[in-house]
Amino acid sequence: MKAAADLIAEARASKRVALDEPAGKRLLASFGISVPKSVIVQDADAAAAACGDLKPPLVLKVVSPDILHKSEAGGVSVGLERAAAVGEAVRAMVKRPAIENARIDGFLLEEMAPPGVEVVVGGLRDPQFGPLVMVGLGGVLVEVLADVAFRICPITRLDAEEMLEELKGAALLRGARGRAPVSREAVIDVLLKVGGENGLLMTHGEDIAEADINPLIVSERGAVAVDARFVLRK
Amino acid sequence: MGDVIEQFRPLFEPRTVAVVGASTKGGTLPNVFIRRIREFGYGGAIYPIHPSAESIDGLKAYRSLGDTPEPVDYAYIAIAAAQVPPLLEQARGRVRFAQVISSGFGEVDEGRQLQEALAAAARAGGMRLIGPNCLGIYTPRGRITFTETAPAESGPVGIISQSGGLGTDIIRRGLTRGLKFSGLVTVGNCADISANDLLEFYLADPQTRVVGLYIETAGDGRRLFEILRGARAGKPVVILKGGRTRQGRAAAVSHTGSLAGDDRAWVALSKQTGSVMADTLDGFIDALAAFQALAPQPRRPTRRVVLFGNGGGASVLATDQFARLGLDVEAFDRQTVEELARLKLPPGTSITNPVDAPVGTLQQEDGRVAESILGAIYGSGRPDALVMHLNLSAFAGRTRAEVLDNLVQAALRVQGRYPGQAHFVLVLRSDGEPALEERKRAFRTRAVALGIPVYDEIANAGAALAALAFHERFVQSRSR
Repeated sequence: MKAAADLIAEARASKRVALDEPAGKRLLASFGISVPKSVIVQDADAAAAACGDLKPPLVLKVVSPDILHKSEAGGVSVGLERAAAVGEAVRAMVKRPAIENARIDGFLLEEMAPPGVEVVVGGLRDPQFGPLVMVGLGGVLVEVLADVAFRICPITRLDAEEMLEELKGAALLRGARGRAPVSREAVIDVLLKVGGENGLLMTHGEDIAEADINPLIVSERGAVAVDARFVLRK
Repeated sequence: MGDVIEQFRPLFEPRTVAVVGASTKGGTLPNVFIRRIREFGYGGAIYPIHPSAESIDGLKAYRSLGDTPEPVDYAYIAIAAAQVPPLLEQARGRVRFAQVISSGFGEVDEGRQLQEALAAAARAGGMRLIGPNCLGIYTPRGRITFTETAPAESGPVGIISQSGGLGTDIIRRGLTRGLKFSGLVTVGNCADISANDLLEFYLADPQTRVVGLYIETAGDGRRLFEILRGARAGKPVVILKGGRTRQGRAAAVSHTGSLAGDDRAWVALSKQTGSVMADTLDGFIDALAAFQALAPQPRRPTRRVVLFGNGGGASVLATDQFARLGLDVEAFDRQTVEELARLKLPPGTSITNPVDAPVGTLQQEDGRVAESILGAIYGSGRPDALVMHLNLSAFAGRTRAEVLDNLVQAALRVQGRYPGQAHFVLVLRSDGEPALEERKRAFRTRAVALGIPVYDEIANAGAALAALAFHERFVQSRSR
């Protein structure tokens, strides 16, 4: 595993304004945050061949510096059960108009996270206060609902607990409408690893303008960072 | 912590003051400043600085800041902006604090360079600089004031204001509200000494029990956060923040970036440090008045409030508003209701919370009836706070003058029997009619002199109690 600083230096060396998804996830993993098991492959045959090491269902995502919103571009395929389906998915993906002419760094093939509540954990560099950490109810509606809580880094465990309490949808984590409660502890753990005393933002906040873990899928057993974006400071 | 007190002592208790900009003909702001500090009882040496005059306002004048008989603790400087840097350079290390009132520095584009020159000149002259673009300092312990009317008595409220005019408002409005200050410094552009530096002073200063901060630009927001976090709300801090910045938001590309409103960091600061954010000048003063008079009870944060007074509709509206603020105006339990029933109060008096007591009830025993009512409430109701609200319009022409005083004295006697149980605040409502306003003003002065926080409307009292409750809950949550 590459050291976090190397991942950032590498992106800067290749004049990237952001970490790509695999690098972002390696950064999270280096701080002890769970990410799906994955491989990076370059073509359909390699993708099909790599399936043996992963437990289906799998998800395939295009890795490209030109594509900001992968889903909208048709760069995400989910629920892939067999090698043949994975190979087929790669072949179909490269033909999509938004992908055809983009620079492709490869394809990220990874295990799908167990279902759960979609949470967003974010980071931001405030011009006056330095790094801020955010938690909210995530998924596609995050910006519509704007149910989020911010804190100035570093946060304590108590701060993290209060952030969750502050969400209007806090009840969703406690298991609303007959669903089992999900692991609040896992979300608090991720918040501390991102925004705590020796967390990601306190360590690399000088380099990170904005960060999104969206979604962080939280189940009864834990939390998995399913997508990650880190925008670098200029 | 002792260091910061010693460091700022010459500013808050100057033994020598230099005044730059006073004229032999009088009438300038520095002339007025000389008159004000003399009237305010300043007993130390005053050195007018003037290029040619022999004396100003009867005081011997000196040519430069470096020529005074004794070193200068505090220099008040109001001359043309461009003349200030050379003046400071001549101080030769003999000035401790210089406050530059003059404007025309960093607050305007063409003054940016001059402000840098000013800061460099202060360093070269060996002094600390306050301002520029401010109005002065009010420090009752040092008998210095930049405002015409200011309380002579010092007190527990320490203020830092980035606006000079607002600083004046805080002192003058505070005067009628009974606020007593440990100091008020207008800091202007903060070319050298920042609001953060003075915050550290007030947090360490034994005279200061509550700090009020008016800021427009946080400057080093990170340091503000760290100071407040380190202080763990040991003293309540009330922040009035103006001009919330949009800097750096427009370009946000992530979800997090687009969700971070201008206010987020300040809300976070408040939640992480227990600092109270006020939205308006009145809200700021209302909260300071509560913190000055009421000792926070972190072991039993304020939640249960009893409303007692005349005005049924007003107390119903207040009950709704208090609920929105997280305060409960709960109905009394059976025991309290029975005890109140035993008093056989006149019809129209509610014997549950809110306790609506018309004037006909309140004037019984010339107001002393409040003692038995509140005695029953305190004995079994155990409120965290009591809001006594008196609508003076309804008393007009119906009661003897001493009824109001007797009501308050009755409440204070009950307070005395249950020490530390409930915060007591008074609301004096009026309708703007001149004679009534005058009666209210006189009564407020007497109540304030007794150390009671007094508010114009129940809503203001509610917001101030909510600020107190926020502070109490924070201290409680961080002391586990």
